[in-house]
Amino acid sequence: MVKRIAAMLALVLLLTGCSTDQRILDRLGMVQTAAFDSTEGGKLLVTASIPVIDPNTEEHREILQAETDSVKEARLVFSRQTDLRVVSGQMRELLFGMDLAEKGLWKYVETQLRDPSVGFSVKLTIVDGKAGELLAAEHKPHADTGRYITHLLEKEASGNNIPATTLYEFSRDYNDDGIDVIAPIVSDGSDKVRVSGIALFAGDRMVMRVPVKEGLIFALCRGKLKRGEAALDLEGQSGKREVAVFSSVTSKRKVKVHRLPDGRFKVDLYVSLQGSVLDYTGQRTLKEEADRHELEKEVALSIEDKAEQLIRQMQQKKTDALGLGQYVRNSLSYKAWEDMDWREMYPEVEVKCHAKVKIKDYGKYM
Amino acid sequence: MTEKIRPFNLAVLVYMSQVGIVVFTLPRTLADYFGTNGWLFLIPCFLLVSFNIYLISCVYRLGKGRSVFDILEQSVPKLLLYPLYAALITVWMLFGCVIGKKYVLLFQMLAFPTTNPMVFKLMFDLLAFMLIIKGIYAISRAATMFFWITLWMYLLLLWVLPDFNWVRLTPFILQGGHDQIKGGLEVYGAFLGYEMSLLLFPYISKAKGSMAAIQAGNAYLSFSYINLGLISFGIFSQDQLKQLLYPLLDILAYIQFPFVERLENLLYGFFLFLVLITAVMYWWGALETARRILPRLKQQVLTFMLLGITYSISFIPKTIDEVNTWIGFLGNVTIGIAFGLPLLLITLLLIQKKGEKRDG
Repeated sequence: MVKRIAAMLALVLLLTGCSTDQRILDRLGMVQTAAFDSTEGGKLLVTASIPVIDPNTEEHREILQAETDSVKEARLVFSRQTDLRVVSGQMRELLFGMDLAEKGLWKYVETQLRDPSVGFSVKLTIVDGKAGELLAAEHKPHADTGRYITHLLEKEASGNNIPATTLYEFSRDYNDDGIDVIAPIVSDGSDKVRVSGIALFAGDRMVMRVPVKEGLIFALCRGKLKRGEAALDLEGQSGKREVAVFSSVTSKRKVKVHRLPDGRFKVDLYVSLQGSVLDYTGQRTLKEEADRHELEKEVALSIEDKAEQLIRQMQQKKTDALGLGQYVRNSLSYKAWEDMDWREMYPEVEVKCHAKVKIKDYGKYM
Repeated sequence: MTEKIRPFNLAVLVYMSQVGIVVFTLPRTLADYFGTNGWLFLIPCFLLVSFNIYLISCVYRLGKGRSVFDILEQSVPKLLLYPLYAALITVWMLFGCVIGKKYVLLFQMLAFPTTNPMVFKLMFDLLAFMLIIKGIYAISRAATMFFWITLWMYLLLLWVLPDFNWVRLTPFILQGGHDQIKGGLEVYGAFLGYEMSLLLFPYISKAKGSMAAIQAGNAYLSFSYINLGLISFGIFSQDQLKQLLYPLLDILAYIQFPFVERLENLLYGFFLFLVLITAVMYWWGALETARRILPRLKQQVLTFMLLGITYSISFIPKTIDEVNTWIGFLGNVTIGIAFGLPLLLITLLLIQKKGEKRDG
């Protein structure tokens, strides 16, 4: 008897209890991509793209725009513009305009982190120019620009050349005193969206950009690669430009920290890389083992050279996007690290890159 | 009571009553109060709990498996005991109650932001009620079943393993923390629940392994806590971890499938099993004690009364912060009971033994 009454009660409660939290899919506007820009008046321009699931219309998405002071206030403005109930539970991508990124992003990221309906795996991307304009633009044959960008970056990240940055990674590296945040940059190439580089941050402000061509060098220096692809420029023997195209690149990075007698730090960055050569435009023939070894050496030299150049630029901009600080920290005592201002110390660090290249194979043709 | 709880079920029951709502905040507590590599603090906690369980097994051996109430009532007049019983009932009842309430509030935040949380609390209490009236043997069987239902969730930690990096752990040991005593009590609170095994003496099989089973339950819990702690410190940076209110929820939220986001809503439901057993065990403890004061009342009626009272009390703390304050305070009292009660019992048993010798 007790059981039966309990079951009845439970049923009644289940049927009536959650009426205010009812969600009907057709009436929800699930924001998939949101774009943020700063306006001239110092306000925030939020653009959101919502997929439309109505078989009677040609449109695949609805674009909402609002000029507000706070990120979440925009949602309230949005709901006055549409018959759908705007929710952010299925958000996949956040786009930030360049001007906003240069001013600092943390307060916008923080709001997203606080929202229980936004997960850690939402991606964060910088847009060359205005993020809202890119999102609102049509890119045929892709019906939904937001989803197009998401897929584009997912594909790029899986090739390891341009890392995708999630909210998790952004907040993790922002809150780590030994590494700085990075994020991919996309730009509008009229009919296509192009991945155009990597944004490097100091704190939450973007201070430097790594062009796509150097993406692989940057990725090699930052961490492990599992499936990279790269075209490496080499200075040929006759001074002519040569290219070696690598595929299935796997790499490892090792960092060693020494203290120099004058108190500065010296960091040795060991990069080892393996891959198959698909194309090579230089003088050597790949079938000779000796030639291949020479090519390996040449590629290694070229990587070392470019990496050191890149790191020098990063030091000038005071962005430790490679996370060398983490290794310096781990070589010190807690007190010594706490007393040190790493961002000021960082440009003084002497960084030496040592690359080791191994050509696994050179395809199926001599 | 014909059937006895076997060692394996006992181990599971202890583990299930230990693991509760605190697991969601544990990594953050460790990072905040103990600083770098705070997860290491779990090891002394584990040892201390083991020692506490050793005390409990001393009571079991000295008392030859008698019920702790029998031991108490043999030497202490009832007039003195009843206030103690009343205190135990109050603390255990309320502790179970706020644990349930916190689970409900978190659930509400995640999934049903505007529904009245007391509706969910009522469901929670109903489930608990139906379990408790079946008796401890049924509870232990249910706990074993729930254990198997939730065991696979450890595999979810594999999902975040690619983001694990030893470099983030830093070589610094427990640096940069604050208020370590307060934090220590909070972390120790995550282990609570094992002290309920004191009341289980009459219901466990006399087989040798029973006391070892309690230790095993605690060891398994500590192992999973240390795993969770280590992984949290390796995938989150130190300052980030300090800012995450519920790191475990964030770990769950990081798991993503192409077709659905926010899987944590679904997964959070599974934690109901863990939290439910914890609350049920505390309420069962309160009920066992109450039966000593009111032995003639029917068990169902008594359970109904107790749960009715706790349900009305659970209306009082409304916000997560209030609930946390209650949990903090009651947790400290419960830690006191976990150590105090076995010590009191051992003292009584030694006195009783001396008396027996003199009489004999």
